[in-house]
Amino acid sequence: MKLLDMTRKYGNATYNYPFEPYIVPEGFRGKPAYDYEKCIGCTACAVACPSNAINVKLNEDQTKLVWEFNCARCIYCGRCDEVCPTNAVMLSNEFETAVRFDKENLKERGELDVECCQECKKPFTATKLIAYDIERLRRAGWDEASLTEKTEYIRTCPECKKNIAVENATKYFVRKK
Amino acid sequence: MSKTYVVPEEIASANTLEAKLEHLKNIKGSFNVYRVDCGSCNGCEIEIFAAITPMWDPERFGFKLVANPRHADILVCSGPVTRQMYYPLLRAYEATPDPKVVVAIGACGSSGGIFHDAYSVWGGIDKVIPVDVYIPGCPPHPASIVYGLATALGILDQKLELKVHKSGSNESPEIKESVFNNILFERDVLAKSKQLMGYLHGRTLYTKYMDAVKEAKDIKDTLQMRITMGRLSSEEEDPRFEECMRTLHNEVYLDHMKVFKNIDVADKFVSVINK
Repeated sequence: MKLLDMTRKYGNATYNYPFEPYIVPEGFRGKPAYDYEKCIGCTACAVACPSNAINVKLNEDQTKLVWEFNCARCIYCGRCDEVCPTNAVMLSNEFETAVRFDKENLKERGELDVECCQECKKPFTATKLIAYDIERLRRAGWDEASLTEKTEYIRTCPECKKNIAVENATKYFVRKK
Repeated sequence: MSKTYVVPEEIASANTLEAKLEHLKNIKGSFNVYRVDCGSCNGCEIEIFAAITPMWDPERFGFKLVANPRHADILVCSGPVTRQMYYPLLRAYEATPDPKVVVAIGACGSSGGIFHDAYSVWGGIDKVIPVDVYIPGCPPHPASIVYGLATALGILDQKLELKVHKSGSNESPEIKESVFNNILFERDVLAKSKQLMGYLHGRTLYTKYMDAVKEAKDIKDTLQMRITMGRLSSEEEDPRFEECMRTLHNEVYLDHMKVFKNIDVADKFVSVINK
């Protein structure tokens, strides 16, 4: 009886969890929440992700840039949250992530429009990323004339940029015979 | 690695969905769980044992860990299945009486996790034996384990499903207005505060610092700014925020103000640590 009195004094330690919601502590690292409207397809999260849970790739017919998150592989380290420039990926408080039978239900996908290189006409980045870059430059104090003139290179893919640079550099050299 | 184990006919026929649901109905209120560690780092094991403490108490719905697969109804498997644990896992699977429910726990158990492309592992329980419930997490929180086990029993429904976002606008996302018409200042403040306090508290520090900046009447008046920042930062409860706000003032704000005027010694904060 003494023991029961003591138990009553200290209260009930068990969380009544599945029958009432469990409130997670502040700074809890839950499933990363993805905001499609904010995502610009810069692939910073895919580069930072240590377990390749986030992949950003062109789809098979090269018409869309696909951001794919596989929750089954995620280790909740928060690096995607840290590097995201627009806060499109942020760790949420969601911990109820168990699924039955089909692992596909753990995935999340976002399809972004692609921009084609103006030299070789091959897709290389997201349209939204270029729009974001130009908007940032405008806010940093660039005027319209220099924006159109100086941002030509932004619409060229890295491969073509390299070729153009080599071409420009070697234009003035004549090979000795 | 290719799949080599084929589930024997008598086990496959005894483990249909109907048989499992019938079995769950028969054993309600008492479930015996056997835990197989297939090369896990022990993080998941620690969380499983945290989940069976009185704090979470899954014995409310009849969970009990047993020491022998022959007594078990549910197999909880963790780890990416190393080559050495391949046969022990199969022995435990075949020893469990039919029908059995297999739960893959942790990021490694569900898909291989951080080891998904390593040469020495199979990369997930589902590459070897059929799995019914996946509990991702590295390691999963005790609450996720309780939720996952309740999902396995059919007490709760699953919340996640495949989400595909197809089309949206190609406009740039909204960029906030800068305090003095130069977004490079905001960028530097955010980068420095993340460097000082990490991504989570760095974001709080950034909002606190920007609120303090907006409170000052004239942003380009450096002496006035120092006084305002000194007053507001000393009101902070946490001394780390105080120190970091002053560091931001010294290093980022005054660096941006160099363009407009000469910086006095009086504009700078003297660090509490160096005093």
